[in-house]
Parts: sequence; C-alpha cells; structure tokens
Amino acid sequence: MANFFPKWSNWIALKLVICLSVVGMGLVGGIWYYFTPKYTRVGYMPTQPAPFSHALHVEQLGMDCRYCHSFVEVASHSNVPSTQTCMACHTQIRATSPKLETVRQSWKTGEPVNWVRIHKAPDYTYFNHAVHVNRGVSCYSCHGAVNEMQVVWQDQPQSMSWCLDCHRAPENFLRPPAEIYNMKWKPAAGESQREMGMKFKEEWEVNPPVTCGGCHR
Amino acid sequence: MKRIVNHPARDAQPSIWRSLRELENDPEFAKHLAAEFPRGADVYQDSGLSKRDFLKLMGASMALAGVGLTGCRRPESHLVPFTKGVEWTVPGKFLYYATSMPVRQGALPLIATTSDGRPTKLEGNPLHPVSSGGTDAFAQAAILDLYDPHRSRNMTENGKGSDLASFDAFLQSVSQSGGKGVGFLVEKANSPTRDRLRAELEKNFPGLVWAEYEPLGDSEAAAAADAAFGVGTKLIPKFERADVVLALDSDFLNPAESGIGYASGFSARRNPDQMGAPMNRLYVVENHFTVTGGMADHRLRCKTSEIGALARALGTLIAAKTGDGGLAAVVGAYPDQPAHFDEAWVKECAADLLANPGRTLVLTGPQTPAAVQVLAHAINSALGNLGATLIALQSAAPATATISDLAKAITAGTIQTLFILGGNPAYNAPAELGFAALLAKVPAVVRLGLFEDETSKLSRWHIPAAHFLESWGDARSFEGTLTAIQPMILPLWGGLSELDILSKLLGGGPVDGPELVRATFEKLAPQDLLAEVGTMDLLWNSFLRVGFLPETQFPPAAAQLAVATAAALAAKAPAIKDGLELVFLQSSSVDDGRYANNSWLLETPDFVTKVTWDNAVLVSPATAAALGIKANNFGKFEEIAEKIGNDVNYDLVADIVEISDGKTSIQAAAIVAPGHADDSLSLALGYGRKSVSALMENVGFDAYPLRSATIPRFTSGVTLKVTDKNYPLAQTQEHRSMEGRDLVREGTLDRYKEDPAFAQTMGMDGHIPPNISLYTHPALTSKEQWGMTVDLNTCTGCNACVVACQAENNVPVVGKDQVRKNRDMAWIRIDRYFAGEKEDPEMLAQAIMCQHCENAPCETVCPVNATVHSEDGLNLMAYNRCIGTRYCANNCPWKVRRFNYFDYNQRPIDQLYWGPLAKKGMADSLKMAKNPNVTVRMRGVMEKCTFCIQRIEEAKISRLVEAGPTPSSETPISTFKVACQQACPNDSIVFGDIADPESRVARLQKSERGYTMFKYVNASPRVTYLTRIKNPNPNMPGADRVGMANGAPHGSSHGGDKSHGSDKSHGTHEPAAPHAPAAPHQPTEAH
Repeated sequence: MANFFPKWSNWIALKLVICLSVVGMGLVGGIWYYFTPKYTRVGYMPTQPAPFSHALHVEQLGMDCRYCHSFVEVASHSNVPSTQTCMACHTQIRATSPKLETVRQSWKTGEPVNWVRIHKAPDYTYFNHAVHVNRGVSCYSCHGAVNEMQVVWQDQPQSMSWCLDCHRAPENFLRPPAEIYNMKWKPAAGESQREMGMKFKEEWEVNPPVTCGGCHR
Repeated sequence: MKRIVNHPARDAQPSIWRSLRELENDPEFAKHLAAEFPRGADVYQDSGLSKRDFLKLMGASMALAGVGLTGCRRPESHLVPFTKGVEWTVPGKFLYYATSMPVRQGALPLIATTSDGRPTKLEGNPLHPVSSGGTDAFAQAAILDLYDPHRSRNMTENGKGSDLASFDAFLQSVSQSGGKGVGFLVEKANSPTRDRLRAELEKNFPGLVWAEYEPLGDSEAAAAADAAFGVGTKLIPKFERADVVLALDSDFLNPAESGIGYASGFSARRNPDQMGAPMNRLYVVENHFTVTGGMADHRLRCKTSEIGALARALGTLIAAKTGDGGLAAVVGAYPDQPAHFDEAWVKECAADLLANPGRTLVLTGPQTPAAVQVLAHAINSALGNLGATLIALQSAAPATATISDLAKAITAGTIQTLFILGGNPAYNAPAELGFAALLAKVPAVVRLGLFEDETSKLSRWHIPAAHFLESWGDARSFEGTLTAIQPMILPLWGGLSELDILSKLLGGGPVDGPELVRATFEKLAPQDLLAEVGTMDLLWNSFLRVGFLPETQFPPAAAQLAVATAAALAAKAPAIKDGLELVFLQSSSVDDGRYANNSWLLETPDFVTKVTWDNAVLVSPATAAALGIKANNFGKFEEIAEKIGNDVNYDLVADIVEISDGKTSIQAAAIVAPGHADDSLSLALGYGRKSVSALMENVGFDAYPLRSATIPRFTSGVTLKVTDKNYPLAQTQEHRSMEGRDLVREGTLDRYKEDPAFAQTMGMDGHIPPNISLYTHPALTSKEQWGMTVDLNTCTGCNACVVACQAENNVPVVGKDQVRKNRDMAWIRIDRYFAGEKEDPEMLAQAIMCQHCENAPCETVCPVNATVHSEDGLNLMAYNRCIGTRYCANNCPWKVRRFNYFDYNQRPIDQLYWGPLAKKGMADSLKMAKNPNVTVRMRGVMEKCTFCIQRIEEAKISRLVEAGPTPSSETPISTFKVACQQACPNDSIVFGDIADPESRVARLQKSERGYTMFKYVNASPRVTYLTRIKNPNPNMPGADRVGMANGAPHGSSHGGDKSHGSDKSHGTHEPAAPHAPAAPHQPTEAH
C-alpha cells in the first residue's frame, strides 16, 4: 500500500504546534502589553527636578489650580508656572529649604526648570484646555485627584477612545461652572450626575465634536 | 431604463488649452494625462538598498525592537516654562505685531504672527492706508528667508573668521580718519532714519559718495517724472476713477512690480455688478504675457523696443484730436523710429481714450526707458488725467549717485573704503561696469549681506545682516506714510542692520532698541496729531501698535507738464537696433536674485510659463519656428534620462540657445511662449547664481551679463543660435490637467447683461438631469457650513495665495526632480489657461484648491476612512489613519490631493532617495518656521487643502470659551480669514459661512456669475467660481474673439435653440432629445 502521507508530513504536527504556540504567545504578550494601562502610561510617575507636592499646596494650603496654571482658561496649553511664580512665595517661605535648590538655582541663573512631562497628546492631536474648563469639564475628569498627589502621576489613559467616551456623552462629566477647579466636588446626595449633566448640555448647547477635524488638523 | 452620463469628449481642437502639446493634440501627451501618478516611488537610489534588502533590515529591526520593547516606550520629554513671565506672552497663543517689509516701492505693511516669540506667518496690515490687507508672494516667503539655515552666520575678514570687536575697531579707524575716500552702495530703502543718518554722515565725512542701486528699481520712472513735472514728483494712479486704462509695458497688477495697494482700486472697478460706475476697460501693450496682460480686454503683442514708437503714434493721434501743444511738442521731439504694430489697434485705443477725457490712465513700467515714460506723462496731461486719475505728490528723498557714478569714482581711485549694504553688485551690476573687477581696486570693501555671496567673496569684510524681522527700522510706503519696522525676534545669528553700521560710523554706541527710529519719528510726528494724543510716548506707542503714523503722506504737488524738459528727455530716446531684442524680466520667484535661496519661491511656478526651479528664454511660436527652437525634444527623453541619472517623466526638455550682443554671450534654455511678441526674447533676471549655496547651484540662467546701465529694460540687436545641448525643465502647466471641460468660464459684458446666468448652462451644464445620488449625504448638522468663492474677474494669478498657503500649512518643498514627476505639494495651485490661437491667445488664471464636495468622490473610495466629512461641510483628512493607497487622489476630479512620496520634511531634497537608514531630521531653524497648529506630515500619507481647519477650529473654540456656561449659539463666531483669502491682494477669494444668508460668501455663491466645476458629476463642491466678464471695445480689431474662451453663446451652436438649458426635456426620461445626436457632450439615454 502506497504511503498516504509523504515523508515531510511526519513533522507537520509538531511544526504546527510550535508555530501556533509562538503565535499564541505573541498574542498573549501583545494583549498583555498593549491592552493594559501600562501602555497608555496610566500611573506614569517620573521623578521631577524639584519635589513639588500638589497635596501640600492644594490640600493643606488651599491654593487654586489657576494660581500656577494661570492661562488654563484662555489658552490651549495649560502652562506650568514660571520660576517667578514659585519665587513669589518662596523668597519668604522656606527660602533656604534644600528641596527648593533647583528653583533657586533657576532664579539665579535664568535657566528654566526642566519639569518632566507626564501628559502628552500626540503631535497630530490638538487638545485645548480653555474650551474644556470654560464649558463645564473639571481638571479632575482628566487628571484625577491631583490635590492628593505627593508626586503627580497620570491618572487616566488619555487615549482616543477615552476622549470619545466623554465627547459622545458629555453629560456624565459636566459640572456646575463654579466647581470646575474644586477637586473634591461630588454631586449632592440624591442628585444624579447624568440628569444634571443633561441639563447643562441642553442649556449651554454642549455638542463636542466627534469628527476627526475636532482634534486632528 | 438606464441613464448613462458620459464625460464630454475632448475636442479635437480645444478652444481652451494649457500647453502647446495639448493644443496640438500630441498622442504622447494624451497618454501622460491618463496617468494620475507617474512612475515609481518605490525605488531607493544612491543607497544600494533594494526593496528586498530593506524588508530584511526591517525584519531585523522589528525583532530587535521586540527583544527589549524599548522602541515602544515614549522618550522622556520636558515642559520648560519661562524663568520670568514675559509681558503679553501666553504659551500656546499667537501674538500679533504690526511691522513692515522694506521693498523698493516703499514699505509693505504687515502684521506678523508670533508664536512663543517666533514669527511664523506674515499677513497684510489692513489698517494701513495703502494696504487692503493683501500681500505678495515675496512677503509670504520672507519667513523662510529669516529661518534659512544657509544664511551667513559669521563675520569674516579676508575670508577668515573675525568678531564684532575687531569690526568695531575697523569702523572706529574709518570714522577717525575723517572719512576720506568713503563710499556707500546701498539698496533703495525709503527709510527716513537712514536718510537722517546719511545726512549726518555727510557732514562728518565730506566727499562721501552715496550711491543707490536696484537692478529692478524705478530710476527710469523717476527720471521721467522729474523731467515732466519737476524733481521729486511722484505720480499715484487712482484706478477707482479710471474707466479706461492703457498699460504700456507695465505689469501694474503684479504687486511685486508695482507694490501692494498700488492697484487696489482696479479690482473694485472690475465688478460688472457695481452700481454707479461702469466696469473699466483695460488695454495692454507688452512683449510677453504678464498677469496684467492676462486681465486685459484688449492686448497687443509688441516688441518692447517698439513700444516707444507705438506711444509716439498714439500721442500723435491724441495731440491731433485734443490740440494739446505740450503733447505735440513732446511727440515731435521723440525720434521717429521704424516699428511694426497694428495701427488700427492704436487708432481705436486712442479713440477710446479720447472718448473718456479725465477718466483714463496711461501707465508705463518702472524700467521702461524714460523717454517713453515722458510720452505717457504727456499723453496723460493731454487727456486731462492729471489731478483726476493721476495724483502728483512731492516726495522728499535726497538725491543719490548711481552705480555708474560710483564705478567712475572707483576707477579714478578716490574710493578707499566702500560699504556695500545689502544688494549683490558683483552679480547684478550692469555688465559694462565690470563691477566685480572694480571691487579689487578698493582697498577695503565692507559687505553687509544675508548670504555669503558673490560680492562677499570679493570683499575684505563680510558682516551677516539682520533680517527685517530682526531689526528696528522705518520706511515710507509709496505714498509717503511713515511705517514701522519692528523686530519680532533677536538676530538669530548676531546680524547687524544698516542702521547699526551707520550709527557706529557716527560714533554712536551699540544700539539695541528703537532709539534711532524714535529720534526720526519725533522729528516727523505731525504737531496736531501730537496735540491730540497728548504725549510723544503715547503717539510712539500707537505708531508701533498700528504700524504707521497717519497724516505723513507726501504733500500734493502741482502737476503741470514741463514741456521743455519733457521734450528734451523724449528727444534722448535710446537708439533701437534691428533684429531680435532681449527683454529683462522681474522673476516671479527670485525677484532680482535676492530670493535665490528661498525654496518656497523657487518651487512656486512662474505666473505664466509655470516653470519651477529655473528661468527660461521665452520665444513666440513663429520666432521659434524661424530660429529652429523646438517646443520640446520628444525623442530625447531616454538620452536625457541617462544624463541626469533619474527616470524622467514626460516633461519638458528644452533646447539650450546662445544669445549674444556681439561682445558677450549667455546660454539659456528656451521655451515657446504663446502670446509672445515676434522677434523678441524675454528672460527673467536673478537666476544662474554660482557657488553660493547648494540650493542655488545649477538653477536657471544668468541674464545680467547682457544688461546695460543705459537701457535696463532690454538689449536690442542680439543674435540667437540654437546649440545642440538640451536642458530638462520642471513645468507644472500640464500637471493635473482636467482635460478642458469648461472649467474656466468667461463671457463679455454684453452677453452678461443679456443673460446674467449664461455661465451656469455652459457646456455640459445645460444638459444635466436633476441631481440624484446613490450615496447618502453625511449629516450636515452644524450651524456653520463653510464655503468659498473665487472671482475669476479679479484673480490675476499672482501666486500670493500659493505661498501664503505653503507658509500657513507647513507645505513641504520637493525639489526640481520631484516636480518633474508631478509630485509638487502645493495645496492651492493656479491653473493657467490659454484660449484661442497659439500666436495671440487670451490668458485666464484659476485658483484650484480642495473643493470640499458634499458628495466627495475621495471619501467613498478610502478603505480606512482616513478622509471623511465633518458636520460643517469640511472634507477632512486624518493623517494618522492614512495608509497611502492613493485611491482618493485617483478619484478626485479636481486633482487637488497631494501624496508624500518621501519624507519631504525630514530629508533635504537632494537626499530623498537615500535609504531608510540614512540620516533624517530638519534644520533647527526650519523647525521654528513651522506653524505649530498644523501637523507636519510624514512620508506615505495623503494631504490636501483643509480650508485652514486650524483657523476654523480656533474661531469655534474662542466662541465657546467666550460663551462659557451660556447657550453657545447666542455668541457669534468671530470673523476670520483663511490664509489664501487673507493674502489675496485683489480680494478674489472669499471664505465664510454659506448657511448664513447674510454672509458675503453666501451672497456671492448665489450670484448669477457663480458656477461650480464638474456639475454633472454631482459632487456638490463647496467652492463656487465667479465667471470672468470681459469688457471689449466693439470697434477694436479682433473684438469678436474677446471673452470667447468657451466658444460662442450656447444657443447658436445648437441651431438657435434658445430655450436650451432650461428645456424641460432635459432630465426627463423622454428619449426625444431636441438637439443633434452628434453633439459629443450630451447624456446618452439607453433603455
């Protein structure tokens, strides 16, 4: 009886198993890496040149976000404070603290402090802070409870699908205008975020863009 | 029953055509048209890397990346705030400052956009009295000049590096020596501060020689005005008052020749719908097609050297009719020269001028011989135009020596130290002076220049110049208004300005601020204005804020023709030699050579020839045939391809010709130019620079060696010899041809009055059935719906919008080789059409950008949804989705989509073909020139006009920010302009919200002159074109051919079927079509 299977078929099963397992491992690895918050850098918490604590400044001292991030209401970019802003207080307060050495050096030499960037939109994405904070979106919605952070980390994935979650249903996030910079604000007991959001959405005609051109130019 | 609508077939003899090959129906050309994307982008050259090698390498690098996964990690980046806050600066927001660009006509008022301290865009200053807010291509490209990485950065003495301290010491030694033998050679600047410092310097340095030289200056015009009306008289035409305009060798509609704002009144009177004032009529006499010639109602081809004789004949006719003694005297003094022109044309033109006394204008060009210009002045005077359409002002510019005077002084040995501030005389001085050789006779030559060029090499000192965006200064606009030049940035490479050097010579210390300009300002400030404003500080601040000082125009002068001096000048008309003449043109790309390193301008096609990266000798078809110049060397492609080492697309291969005046000869490529005068050659100046920078190498041909100081406009009596050499030219005129389907439309004023909507039923548009679409519309739900109109009646094709778009949208430059492969990237292009006979056609210009079709054909074919529609009617392009199939471009009827075949932003244009491992990156200074609000595209993605979506979004966002927690629809959207619209000097492009019936664009789109292209493909474009209306003089020879680009009125070609177009039988399914079945462009109806 002739051989039904040629000789090379002896190894085909093994080859298939090896091949499939490699592909399978690749898939698992890919999903492990790309589908987890690590890829979107949620939790990214680099060491900053000066150990600035938002918890101390906001929570304990009660400073408003806009004291330092002064242009957030008018510009697309929410600025990091200039050395001058830091020194406005720190020439008086803790003027000799070793933690502030970098800032004092910067003030003396005129060289800027190189803060490490945490939140980064891709170059082809044009995010605008001003339009969000003026139309009922709080800092908290994208940056998390910065007021409690000793060292700032990335709290939200800030991926495109995450952006669209809100652009498609802004009512889940809209707040009363007075509470935008209140990092501890919660809807009052018995008040539904969704209902209140719907009310704002209709009243202010909030209609966030979901076409490409809204963010990509 | 099925309805098949075919594209209209191409006519055997097209009435509208873009190139001679199209007119002649070359079969090779038809093949070329069919290919949207010509040959291979997939070959790497010069790297020895095949596609297979590349894939291997990619595989290896992917594997390596996989091992560490390091390639997937974002690198750490930094946020770098200011140490100290800067006044007015908000990171991420633009700041706008008023400044101006010094140009030879005066000042070009500008608003500079700065982004984090970097100027990134220049716009016209609409507040300025001369400006309508427009700019020209040169002003738009000034940003690239500022950031040009080839700019000179180091001071050198005798070719070796030096520093400011030793230069200061040198200047001190000059000023302490009492200034014996000091000469200056400067460019025309119209700067009161420079004039003031010069006067002070002349006091300190007796015997100082101050010479001004501009290769394209108006010294001839000034000489004529001085002789006709007295020294310092400046004539300002008032186009808004002129019914008939005659341009003799004048390209006044080109802002690069006449200056921004000079002809703004013309387009206002070009509107056929204007109440109260009839549409003006334009006669043009010229040797080559200019943008002004393209706008003409009647254009006469005439050798430039014979325009004087033509003006004399015209003057004779007018003098006889008006009995004006002054004109008769001037005409009588002008020598009778033999000439050949259409006398009937001149007669009818004279009759039309005489029929409109005091409402006409006769204009000449800045370099037209002074004797001819004096004739024009006398004609204007006889026609009663002085004080009516022509206003005389008394300018106060001090007298200067010419470059010829300076050359004499150098030859005599009286110049010991020569300061050459700007300019480039070693390259562009009149040939007979031998200026380069003369420089060797001067012991110390100090050269201030933006580039280390021909003159720097012959100078002892080369000092890097500060760009006008880096220095303080002032200038007077052409009618005298004092205009500020403010620095937008500190000198990038430590350059000095002219004023710095003059001030140092006067013993002043280093001047960083506006002190010098302010001192002049305080002298010039009008007292009543000062009293009104209060203090000098307030007045100064308002000067800087608005960019000019009101009430500083030149005072009016009494314009009375001085017959004796005028006749004396007319008698000195240059002698004309027989035979060929060579006319020297201002280049639309490099001006007189000063922008030779500006790649934006080099790649912008010439207005008329559409040649990029080169200039070429223009010859009329008849003269070319007589001299044996071929329109194209079809048979030689393979040969040339071997020579230039690249696969050559079907593009122009021109003959090289040798032009000689008997003593000197030059070689240049020659192309056949429709509408050119016979026995005449034209060549643009400014090309053929040698060994200056890599970009300038082998670009074009130098015409200066044949140019003399006595007649700068032309050289008569030259000879031409065709050599056996060839030269490939990159000409965009055949790129993206839409195959002549009544894309550009025109008619006469009479036809328009009879049937204002005649253009809407032209060609195929009279036959189309009601629109139906199988595709569902995207929901156009936004309150605003964006649209645009382009008025063909005022669009001259001047290129300002093309360069403005490039600057605004970070459009890359691709280089000559790539342009030859149809890969130029311009988002807005000017299609130039000829209509009629090739010897004497009409010319029309049409700006084409993405039409943002509502039923966009590109969107339906994209496999990855990279191009989609927005709810406000924009056709969007998401670069990060694009995978580069190019289906969209193939399906675009307008051919406006551009593909990044290479990393044009990351690779210099001579390294595009290097392999994937070759060095990438952009010069740091060029990064600073980019608009931060527009993505810089990478290799492999499609791009196209976005209607300046960054400006639209900016306006929408500011409205929402302003609205805050209130209904957003109650806050109006702030007004804004898109980049091409803002740059347009004639207001031809209007953009806005078509959903608002009150908006200007909505009203224009409803105009009866409006039509959309390719209406029958039912794409519903958002761009409407307004038909060009011509205003011919019925008595003129050839008047029946004017405004007939699209053929005779539609009805007559169909046997007088007057109801055509509105005929109900169209669009129904009745097979009984009333017109002849042979009509090539009718819908076929089949069962």
